[in-house]
Amino acid sequence: MVGLSVGEKYFIQGGINQNLRSDGRKRDTYRPIFVETGVIPQANGSARVRIGTTEVIASVKAELGRPSALHPDKGKVAIFVDCSPVAEPTFEGRGGEDLSTELSVALQHCLLGGKSGAGAGIDPSSLVVAEGKVCWDLYIDGLIVSSDGNLLDALGAAIKAALSNTGIPRVHVTAAASGDEQPEVDISDEEFLQFDTSEVPVIVTLTKVGRHYIVDATSEEESQMSSAISFSINRKGHICGLTKRGGSGIDPSVISDMISVAQHISEQLITKLESEISAAEAGEDEL
Amino acid sequence: MASKPGSAPTTYTPTPTRKSRPPIFKDSDVDWVRPDGRGFHQCRPAFFRTGAVNAAAGSAYAEFGNTKVIVSVFGPRESKKAMMYSDVGRLNCNVSYTTFATPVRGQGSDHKEFSSMLHKALEGAIMLETFPKTTVDVFALVLESGGSDIPVVISCASLALADAGIMMYDLVAGVSVSCLGTNLVIDPILEEESCQDGNLMMTCMPSRYEVTQLTVTGEWSSAKMNEAMQLCLDACSKLATIMRSCLKEAASATQD
Repeated sequence: MVGLSVGEKYFIQGGINQNLRSDGRKRDTYRPIFVETGVIPQANGSARVRIGTTEVIASVKAELGRPSALHPDKGKVAIFVDCSPVAEPTFEGRGGEDLSTELSVALQHCLLGGKSGAGAGIDPSSLVVAEGKVCWDLYIDGLIVSSDGNLLDALGAAIKAALSNTGIPRVHVTAAASGDEQPEVDISDEEFLQFDTSEVPVIVTLTKVGRHYIVDATSEEESQMSSAISFSINRKGHICGLTKRGGSGIDPSVISDMISVAQHISEQLITKLESEISAAEAGEDEL
Repeated sequence: MASKPGSAPTTYTPTPTRKSRPPIFKDSDVDWVRPDGRGFHQCRPAFFRTGAVNAAAGSAYAEFGNTKVIVSVFGPRESKKAMMYSDVGRLNCNVSYTTFATPVRGQGSDHKEFSSMLHKALEGAIMLETFPKTTVDVFALVLESGGSDIPVVISCASLALADAGIMMYDLVAGVSVSCLGTNLVIDPILEEESCQDGNLMMTCMPSRYEVTQLTVTGEWSSAKMNEAMQLCLDACSKLATIMRSCLKEAASATQD
């Protein structure tokens, strides 16, 4: 945890009140975002995202599996986050476990949509190879390399970048099986299917410090927060998920206000992120 | 047992707030009804009883249709030795399911996040500074999962905390809304939850008009989101009235 003196606390709070934060940013400015894709050769897709000094890696692995009996026409997507003690000593043991469950659940809420799959970033029905028999299981893993606040936004951005970097091998069903038999499949190692990630939402976290709320809080600013709300917003400006952190209550009218602010910020973030991702993809192709 | 749906004191169905706006659908052109015959904006009858567990400092039992939960509160008691000194109290929450709570045996263990959701919903309401160096344990057990489990657990837990005499700013009431197609259904049951397009869960302190916890899944437009929030807020304040009357009843019973 960050240890701050009383003076430093006042400095942070005062800066936020005057719309000039300790690192010179305004309340609604992000730190510079840096995206690199294809960092893990073992995975089907991967990306490293750096926002200021916060750094995360996301990897996407695809495995062939069986769809669940309840949803035979849908593939499965699972999101896990690992908080390694490499990033911060407090992540060792239970401390990391609690945070990684919290982040994993928040990302699942924000990116996977409702039970029926509506509002999901990835259409689970596009992962089906043979209905009820074979489907792709996507395992999305996040790793926190360096932690300086705003982990959820960084992880959301990294997952979006990793998904646009993902190529899933095309699968041909060679022998159609009857009844309960599993069909034989042929996995192509030349043809790959890409995801359309333009519908994948971005996550914008608004951290409330005093009477104001800020985007992209550093860990020092996060230690002063009363509460924070993470909005997952897609290109259409629709809310795809929302989670709240921090104990203190918020007035409902403030929440409505925060929604409209988050929608405005998300537009800029999506544009920024997508240009970074396409630049990273282009850079990778050249190598 | 809960009283019949429709009898005023135990339902907390919100009153329609936007009378000026025509409804999106009329009752006549709805081609389906809810499995338990309720209206879309009609809640299940709520039933609360405090003092369900003798050994606990405070406890409560809640029954919303088929959703049945029991919550017991222990403490404030000395924090574990390994814990560092803290000048505010600690809150420890745990939500567990019985193995027979769900249609498929043992499925309830999927909900690991519920404990932290309960913690986040309650910590803003409790005056932690009134019991420094000690811990309050809140253990919730879902006896039967019938949908909207976590809002019921949160409401029941805040009632158990009040029963234990833990100082709180206000009671916390929780309500969830499911989005099914273009319709919003309040207080969804298990069948509705399994095919929902989106879900909004809100817990709030009605007297202070503050939201302590809010989670949303699925895709929502701003207008729909506002409508759902208004529904929840209204239902929460009504639910808190029922909870308060339950506490009053229990208090007057002990005086007699």
